[in-house]
Amino acid sequence: MTTLFIDDKEITVEPGTSILEACRRHGIEVPYFCYHPELSVAANCRMCLVEVEGWNKPAASCCTPVSEGMKVRTRTEALKKDREMIMEYLLIHHPLDCPVCDQGGDCKLQDYAVEYGPSKGRYSEPKRAVINYDLGPFVNTCMTRCIHCTRCVRFANEIAGTGDIGVLNRGDHMTIAGIVEEALESELSGNLPDICPVGALLDKPSHDLARPWELSHHSSTCIQCPNGCDIQIESRGEQVMRIRPVEGSPEPFICDRGRYVYDSFRSPARILEPQIRQGDGFGSATWEEAFARTVELLKDKRVGILFSPYWSLEGLMSIRLMRDAVFPDAKVAFDLHRRDMRPFAFEEGFSMTTEQIESADQVVVLGCDLRQRLPLLMLRLRKRSRQGRPVTRIGAMNYRTNMSLSNDALIRPRDWHAVIARAMEQVQQLGKTAAGMDEWMASVDGRHEAGKLLADALMADTCALIVGEEIRSHEDAASLIYGLDLLMRACGHAEEGRDGRNLVPEAMNAQMLSAVFGDVRASAGELFALAQAGELDALVLVGSDPVGDGLFPSAAKAALERVPLVQVGAIEGEISRYAEVKLPAAAYVEIEGTFLNMEGRVRTANKPVKSLGEERPLWKVMMRLAMEMGSEPPVVSLEELREALYAAMPEVRDACNSVECDACLIRVGRNRDARALPRKTAEAFPLDVVSRYSMYREGMWARASELLSEAGRIHALDDVLVHPDTLAELGLKPGPLVVESFLGRHTFDIGVRDDVSPGVIYIAKRGVAGDLSDVTSARLVGCGGDS
Amino acid sequence: MTMNEAPRFSEERLQEIQALVARYPGPQSALLPVLHMAQEDFGYLSLDVQKYVAEVLGLTLIQVREVVTFYTMFREQPCGKYLMEVCTNASCMLNGADELVRHMCDKLGIKVGETTPDGMFTVTEVECAGACSGAPVVQINNVYHENVDAAYIDAFIEKASKEDAA
Repeated sequence: MTTLFIDDKEITVEPGTSILEACRRHGIEVPYFCYHPELSVAANCRMCLVEVEGWNKPAASCCTPVSEGMKVRTRTEALKKDREMIMEYLLIHHPLDCPVCDQGGDCKLQDYAVEYGPSKGRYSEPKRAVINYDLGPFVNTCMTRCIHCTRCVRFANEIAGTGDIGVLNRGDHMTIAGIVEEALESELSGNLPDICPVGALLDKPSHDLARPWELSHHSSTCIQCPNGCDIQIESRGEQVMRIRPVEGSPEPFICDRGRYVYDSFRSPARILEPQIRQGDGFGSATWEEAFARTVELLKDKRVGILFSPYWSLEGLMSIRLMRDAVFPDAKVAFDLHRRDMRPFAFEEGFSMTTEQIESADQVVVLGCDLRQRLPLLMLRLRKRSRQGRPVTRIGAMNYRTNMSLSNDALIRPRDWHAVIARAMEQVQQLGKTAAGMDEWMASVDGRHEAGKLLADALMADTCALIVGEEIRSHEDAASLIYGLDLLMRACGHAEEGRDGRNLVPEAMNAQMLSAVFGDVRASAGELFALAQAGELDALVLVGSDPVGDGLFPSAAKAALERVPLVQVGAIEGEISRYAEVKLPAAAYVEIEGTFLNMEGRVRTANKPVKSLGEERPLWKVMMRLAMEMGSEPPVVSLEELREALYAAMPEVRDACNSVECDACLIRVGRNRDARALPRKTAEAFPLDVVSRYSMYREGMWARASELLSEAGRIHALDDVLVHPDTLAELGLKPGPLVVESFLGRHTFDIGVRDDVSPGVIYIAKRGVAGDLSDVTSARLVGCGGDS
Repeated sequence: MTMNEAPRFSEERLQEIQALVARYPGPQSALLPVLHMAQEDFGYLSLDVQKYVAEVLGLTLIQVREVVTFYTMFREQPCGKYLMEVCTNASCMLNGADELVRHMCDKLGIKVGETTPDGMFTVTEVECAGACSGAPVVQINNVYHENVDAAYIDAFIEKASKEDAA
């Protein structure tokens, strides 16, 4: 540790820390513009000058590391003059338009001008004006206000990996310019207005709508992906104006999906009052009427319950309590992306924190579009690759990552067994094995060379395995995951403290769901099949949209043609047209609650936004339902509900009571007995179908958001894509072709792309190809349809 | 090189560039000398040339654009066969550079920064050329001409035009 004196105060920091960082950590104010803790140091604004005893000129504190016994002064007469001059320079061309600038009131330039600036400028020549750029649907530019700190340039290069902004010209003519003047091609573009210290880059959706001092601040947890970022919601009255990351939380940035989903909070798709079906439409009802109709539909019936994993832990617990009290035999499903319901050798969730993944020797991503699914983890992998650390990827599609991968292999989903078996062979040759490996290998016929990449990576001291949706939603997922588990155990990556097994969950709260619902869970597909077969009388849907999302849209539609649906939720999905009754439950930003992210971190939301209508927290709706159905409600207060939750998961209580709540991790479940051997099944059709996950289109909230839909249109790919070789082999040309599967024959416009694995049909789940989501394999035939 | 042709370095140039890149920790460090080569080979740095340089060095276009626009001696527009850069900084100005520029423009019938229609002469003003002892100074295609007056320039232009016609 290094000890130094700043303004006579003795301070101890790690060696190599910059003086500015030391000041920041110890609450000593030094003004700065261009420095940002997450970005590289540019040292170009010169605002952070400090004096160091014995040095003959002031030093830029952001790029000067501390040294032992250093004596630093941050407030002297000379510095005051220096800062005054720098402010005068920065303000030469800066317009005096604070009253009409969105940043006004929340602007570093404004604050520092008051605190450090000369009260009067001496510059009376003409000021310059700069042309604005179109940086996509989320970023508004007013480049005349720019002070050229280059934070945005460094953000685009280092964090987003897009590198499409730069600094052109110099001196008076210096401008920030985008080469790609369309959509800033990043899933993190919404962070640009946050990192801009002045009003040059502004949030476009909230532009000119509110002043910073009118906004009230709420804190919550984002549930738009399993990363569960802390968010700060800024609202004026009832209207949410924007969502921002929380300073000091594990992730300093948030993605565009989590940020711009807010316009769906007030969308017409919200369920804000109880509604009952009347003919083809819905009529408003009182809670009493709605519950009366619900009881009519559910009383003494065989009921299936389908819910979304995105509710808070308390909400999910109340679903379990309600089920046990009212429908003790009901099948329960929550995962819309899992076909294989046998227990997995390692359950959904991460064994490593994202920091550990960032610093692991090797990272292997198996079948996952991380950039769309977990943008913040992608950001960490990007940081890795910038430091020259390897990332290996194996999967059905070269998902765009904005980083360089050290190894990349394209495979078809039906090749996964052969890939794992090949890796097993190689690790066994190197003398590493695990009980059961021989048996597993013996039941796989082929070997796929991509397995070599996997085995090579496993030889490292620490290896993070990130298992994605291509494996999780595989029909033989349990055996694949068992195979990977054997590999990890053989190579020593399964022990406590070195556990590198990470299975990307569908949503938040995965650890709780396997712990609390493990004994009653069924597959969503199974539930729909039962309903279709007449073995269920009604479905209760608690905030999920199996028609719009997931792998069973056709099955869901077929089931709902037969049985009535009671929908409880905060927002309608495409499923709502089948509902008989809609009961409003509060949205995630409107409740106090606890959430678990994929790493097992406990996130708490404690300052909710005001409810817009009659919606109630989910647990109250569930308990009322239990009462109306004639049962004693299992809990009557949030405290009692939490007690029930803690009884089921004592580690959550410990984490919530701990002062260092952020550091507590809820461990992922392990199934030591889950020994699934590969099934030998002949695929009915020659081509594999893989569906695309789009962060702008997946989920009811995203679809209800105009802002995200707009971004989705910009980032859209063709609905159905195949590798050019796949078509060439079949003697077909891109254009309208028939996709033949167990669902029948459908004609789609087929596009070609090199980065789809040969032998794979890659479909956009949303859009016209959405109905193919149920399918795992298909055949392509010409529109003549004779083959 | 005609306008429609895609810019390509010769084999020797590419080898030269390779050797240059090998001397630095990363290819970005070689950008400045490679841009000079490109300007020499292609006359000026059109957007196509900049894209090509980015491709050759494995950089993004914006990284190349940043450097090209920062340095005034990189030209993004074509210029005449004779690029005449007149220093108009203090010493040269005191010794009649402004009058010299006016004379040149009048004689050639162009404005500062323009090229004669026959593509022969371009006149620009530059800041201090660092040769105050010979003020006023005109740099013509990398050669300094010192103590220049109207007669000297007239003779130069005449000679150059004649040589070109021959």
